[in-house]
Amino acid sequence: MQSRFFLLLFVMAGLVVAFAPFPVHPITPQERAFRIEARQFAYSPSELKVNLGDTITLEFVSTDVVHGLYVDGYDISVESDPGQTKTLSFVADKPGSFRFRCNVTCGAMHPFMIGNLSVGQNEWFYRSIGLAIIATLGNIGYLMFSPRPTLITDY
Amino acid sequence: MKRSELLSRIFIMVAVLGAVGAPLFVWARTSLIHAKIAEDGGWNPDVIQANAGEPLHLKLTSDDVVHGFAVGQMDMQSVDVLPGKVSNVTLTFDRPGIYTFFCTRWCGLNHWRMRGTIEVGGSPSDPQSVSVPLYISLNLDIDAPHDSPVVPESKPSAIRGYELAANSPILQSLNYYRANSPYQVFDELSSTSLTESQRWDEVAHLWQSNTTRESLTNGQQLYAQNCAACHGENGAGNGVFADDLAAAGELSMQTMAGTDNMTMQTPVDFTNPTRMLGASPALLQGKILRGGMGTGMPMWGSIFTEEQIWDLIAYLYSFQFNYHRGESQ
Amino acid sequence: MELTRLPFLKSALKSRYPQLAVFIVMLVGYVFAILAGLIGTPVGSHNFSIVFVWIAWWAILILVAVPFFGRGWCAVCPIPLPGEWLQRGAVLNPPDKKPKWLNLRWPKALRNIWLQNISFLLLALFSSVLLTMPNITAIVLAAMLFAAIGLSTICERRSFCRYLCPVGGFIGLYSQTAPIELRIKDKQVCVTCEGKPCYNGSQAGYGCPWDVFPGGLTKNTYCGLCMECIRTCPHDNIAINLRAFSADLAKPSTRIDEAFKAFIMLGSAMIYAGVLLGPWGALKDAAYNVGTSAWFIYATIFLAIIFAILPGFFWLMISLTSRPSPIRRGVGVRAFASLATTLIPLGLMFWVAFSLSFVLTNASYIIASLSDPLGLGWNLFGTANAAWQPMLTSILAPAQMLALVGGLIWSARTAQKAANEVKVSSVPIVIYCFITTLAMLWLLL
Repeated sequence: MQSRFFLLLFVMAGLVVAFAPFPVHPITPQERAFRIEARQFAYSPSELKVNLGDTITLEFVSTDVVHGLYVDGYDISVESDPGQTKTLSFVADKPGSFRFRCNVTCGAMHPFMIGNLSVGQNEWFYRSIGLAIIATLGNIGYLMFSPRPTLITDY
Repeated sequence: MKRSELLSRIFIMVAVLGAVGAPLFVWARTSLIHAKIAEDGGWNPDVIQANAGEPLHLKLTSDDVVHGFAVGQMDMQSVDVLPGKVSNVTLTFDRPGIYTFFCTRWCGLNHWRMRGTIEVGGSPSDPQSVSVPLYISLNLDIDAPHDSPVVPESKPSAIRGYELAANSPILQSLNYYRANSPYQVFDELSSTSLTESQRWDEVAHLWQSNTTRESLTNGQQLYAQNCAACHGENGAGNGVFADDLAAAGELSMQTMAGTDNMTMQTPVDFTNPTRMLGASPALLQGKILRGGMGTGMPMWGSIFTEEQIWDLIAYLYSFQFNYHRGESQ
Repeated sequence: MELTRLPFLKSALKSRYPQLAVFIVMLVGYVFAILAGLIGTPVGSHNFSIVFVWIAWWAILILVAVPFFGRGWCAVCPIPLPGEWLQRGAVLNPPDKKPKWLNLRWPKALRNIWLQNISFLLLALFSSVLLTMPNITAIVLAAMLFAAIGLSTICERRSFCRYLCPVGGFIGLYSQTAPIELRIKDKQVCVTCEGKPCYNGSQAGYGCPWDVFPGGLTKNTYCGLCMECIRTCPHDNIAINLRAFSADLAKPSTRIDEAFKAFIMLGSAMIYAGVLLGPWGALKDAAYNVGTSAWFIYATIFLAIIFAILPGFFWLMISLTSRPSPIRRGVGVRAFASLATTLIPLGLMFWVAFSLSFVLTNASYIIASLSDPLGLGWNLFGTANAAWQPMLTSILAPAQMLALVGGLIWSARTAQKAANEVKVSSVPIVIYCFITTLAMLWLLL
């Protein structure tokens, strides 16, 4: 009886964590410019962090062979020949953590040529942590409160 | 054995041998030209036979990165050669001879070495006269230093030079422009009463009057595609491969007595007035045609047409002079 | 619920023809993949061998076959076939003579999955090269095929499959989580059965190629679902049942080789997520440049994580909350092994979450590769110029979240049962699972 109540409690908590809208601190969107260089098989810099709503201008240049830069989630891309800088501008209107990757075959490790763009809060990550915590606490709680002896202290 | 067993065995043999044999057969009969970066061998094959007047069908694929294909001194759009995909090109040659094909998308430090030849046979038509490049007929030593003893304090302005030329005319012929360095023209103007800065302005005007907007655009495009990777997008000698060239030079064991300045070195800085203003268009043409003899500067003689090289040179000088917008003659 | 009660299913499994048809398709595909890797374009994303092995086959294996069908892939895998046909002297016919090859018993000391652990690790250490270069994939596929054929002429049954195959090692372990199983219906029937044709063969079929006595099967781990016993059992006592997920984990195995397999899979999923999907170029360089000192450092760290850090941390957690008690003192290695089985659902979900990412990103290559498998410029189905386009990117993060948190809950529940068996608290195991799940979430999301 009591365990059902707790189960319900944890499920409710889980639903809240999974679906409740994220608290957003309104930050004035800025203009940001980055210069990214690409080589086989990494970007430099490979991790970018911006706020939600920022206008991003990427100056993209390859330094050895033709590379591309494609942003997951935003579905936009740019391609650069070595020594020929190309620009990609967009508004970071989706929050979260997005990988950007090479979309021009550039050698063997091309499918793993990846960088990361972090826009605002990584909502899915925080939700997952929340759910993982609830699941763990729920499980431990169940062990503590269930009638069967399951703790070491009982032996 | 039972019939089902026999049939199964036959079926398996046919299926497996077919799956291996049919593709193998087609593969063996497909002639592809493989592109690899120069360090891994470049074009394979790198010599192609053809006949004048007959269309030559080529199938190209890349085995590693993005490459491109074009034939030197032929009016053709370059064709991208993409990894894992096949591009088709059909070429027709009017005259027999040896043509150079080359890679048109930067694929590493040695991208420019990715070249091959197409040997076009056929009855030789009326012999084409070949003109000797200007630097040869002028007897220029293009490897000698050509620093300008005097440099302007600020970038010379062509429009000021234009206005000055109304009162102090200056020879504007194409040959005069090509055969002389900006410094030489500046020096010849010392007989006039103009100030140094005014003389440089007139030099700028002379240069612009031998340049069209179209040639500047062409030159800029050629520069971006062929030169920027080493010489820098803004001409400062700091392109993406500049450091690698310098490092290769230090490691290079190619020094021969008397040619120490011919090892790989950092690319020339076109924004440097001392070097640029002491170089005539003919000298620059020589360098571009012949290349740098081990410095890492490619030879473009078989690749660019003469017109392309003059366009490129016109663009190179635009780093030194302020050209004005409006049409010039 | 017994699935083989459905007459359609039963006759399809008993007859050799449907299975043979699938076998032929798989064998042709496998051999074609070897050919493509050797003579096709060296560009992985446009070569059938890379696209169909590491994207298409891997996706189906880890997302469908293992979670839902356990060792279902083993049921249709073409690798043992040529060897087995040689061994049997037939493709369809059941045996009517004594076996003609050497038929040696597999050596007792190697009757464990350590060789499979090693073969999987070898592939894993070279994975950056294996997953990207068609000729390397082709060589590995060919090596496995020839090893299986060779072993079939020396040893009895499917020795390659049971003791060497790197894939078999982990899908055997993970098959314990699957909702289907092959079991006998009534134990008494087996007790009174003469000759045990399910294991020894008969006119109706061959003895179990997996060297398993079907009458004693209580777990999925070593049954390759080849259906041979269904054909030979004269009492119709063998069935395929639908059951709850991970029913096998209620009776955890106490084998240390299996325990380390669990750590190998858990660790390699995390390392792959970091090296292949992370933004750290230096790691990728180290993983790809085999033979350099950076690679040796990478390999050492890889092995340290798998053999020292993960198991060590696990051991630490379970011994932290234990107090010496008469029962516990003697338990040691076997308890450790049985508790480690709780990591099986977690590991499976780690692999599902990791695989979802690169499969959804690169599945579009499959469409193009169908039309031009060798990169020679063919266009068999008109799709050769299909563009690369990541699929379903909006559901990727929530799907990974569900998989990983789901795996955590699943392992936590499994931990309860396993911990009960050895009379320890499952709390430290749950915390261990929580911490590793956090790490995987951070690496992937």
